[in-house]
Amino acid sequence: MATSVADRQVRISKIAGRYLVFDIDDVAYIRRHHGICAVFTGTMPQNPTQNVFLGLPIELYAEEARLLVDKKVGYIADDANDHLSRLKSLDEPSRKAYLQSLKTQRKNAQLVIDEARAQSQAKHKSKRKDKAPKLEPSESTSTKEDDTGLFDATPAKPAQVVVAKQALPAVTPTSTGQLISKGDGAAIQVPKSYPLYAYLNKRGYFITPGLRFGGDYSVYPGDPFRYHAHFMANSYGWDEQIPMLDIVTSGRLGTSVKKSFLMGAQQPVDDDNGDAAGDSRVRVFCIEWAGM
Amino acid sequence: MSCTHDLEALTKVVLNNLENQHDWTETKVHTQPDLPRQIIHGLPPKRLYVHPDEQIDIIRAEKARNGDRIPQPPELEWVLPLHIAEKWSPSRFAAVFDALAAIPPGGNSLAQDLALDSGDADAQWKLWRGPKRGKRLLLATVQDDSTVTYYFMHDGIVKPRQN
Repeated sequence: MATSVADRQVRISKIAGRYLVFDIDDVAYIRRHHGICAVFTGTMPQNPTQNVFLGLPIELYAEEARLLVDKKVGYIADDANDHLSRLKSLDEPSRKAYLQSLKTQRKNAQLVIDEARAQSQAKHKSKRKDKAPKLEPSESTSTKEDDTGLFDATPAKPAQVVVAKQALPAVTPTSTGQLISKGDGAAIQVPKSYPLYAYLNKRGYFITPGLRFGGDYSVYPGDPFRYHAHFMANSYGWDEQIPMLDIVTSGRLGTSVKKSFLMGAQQPVDDDNGDAAGDSRVRVFCIEWAGM
Repeated sequence: MSCTHDLEALTKVVLNNLENQHDWTETKVHTQPDLPRQIIHGLPPKRLYVHPDEQIDIIRAEKARNGDRIPQPPELEWVLPLHIAEKWSPSRFAAVFDALAAIPPGGNSLAQDLALDSGDADAQWKLWRGPKRGKRLLLATVQDDSTVTYYFMHDGIVKPRQN
């Protein structure tokens, strides 16, 4: 179990610009080990207008998808785009390798077919042997081709045909997985608040969309099933000029929903400090009403 | 020069409001070369801020004393005078916090007095007035009709009080 958790790769499907996870085990895994709840969006096929009690898939924020890819525990599967772009730009060696792998698949299929046929023939033979004593009186007639043909004609004939053709069976590949390499996270366009998101996530906070408390994010000290949110968080630019009225308003709003208003900003990277990862450069302030 | 003058007027409004409306004492204007403007520190009439974890420590200590209430004398607080028309960036707030000590001048001796008053000097709840106190600042935002609103700003992630 431990190893399977360690090298689990979450498949994040990018469909119509949204990041979706379809595997329930992946959903449990990212919630338990990476503090990502995301939002359930799936309806029942019979009831597509359903808007409560939604199920799989879950939809990830771009930040969440980026975080999983940056942590190397997930990859983006953008099937529609990848098929168009990557299959066209396939180079000769990988093309050959793919054709070779198809051949191998066909050979394997042939082996399986042969085996199955051999088995069924053996079965029929043993059946015939079982029946043989009963048929003994009429043995002379049973040896005639047209008589046995009633039972054996169908399995026997195709076997002869295949041998005659010497061709491998055709296969229809169900996946082009090996043709398409796993995308990297750089392609994910994240909002400017991503550094704040990563900063809070790293410290064990769970983050859900912030609309219900009036901010960018609602920040929970643990799984939202167990805790109330502690903060409503907004992200700002390091030198963004924030009107004092906004700070007072947000502080007031946060206090009125029994939360603290958290404002975060990332300090730009300067040349002397090579820490480009950026997590340590996030500065966070919490604002609440003083009660006077 | 006129800018400095404006800020002095602003400081004065906040100082007046603190002393006369909120009964603060020991108010002082604090200047420091690396601070962008004057900052006030003073002593509120009753304790303004108790960290939720400190509250737990206090309740624990009170339980150990068979439920005797532990008196909570006020703490010195920093006050940053601001005008509602101003715009501040996170970098400016960060600069203020970097320049300030967690406890205003004179606050340490207050904390020590308290520790000497009650016998158990190493009790957890007392550390919140000393080494465990995080940096915090009262944002005193002034509007032209002399309304002043006070909001606490904490440096770093500080969980909200149970209000």
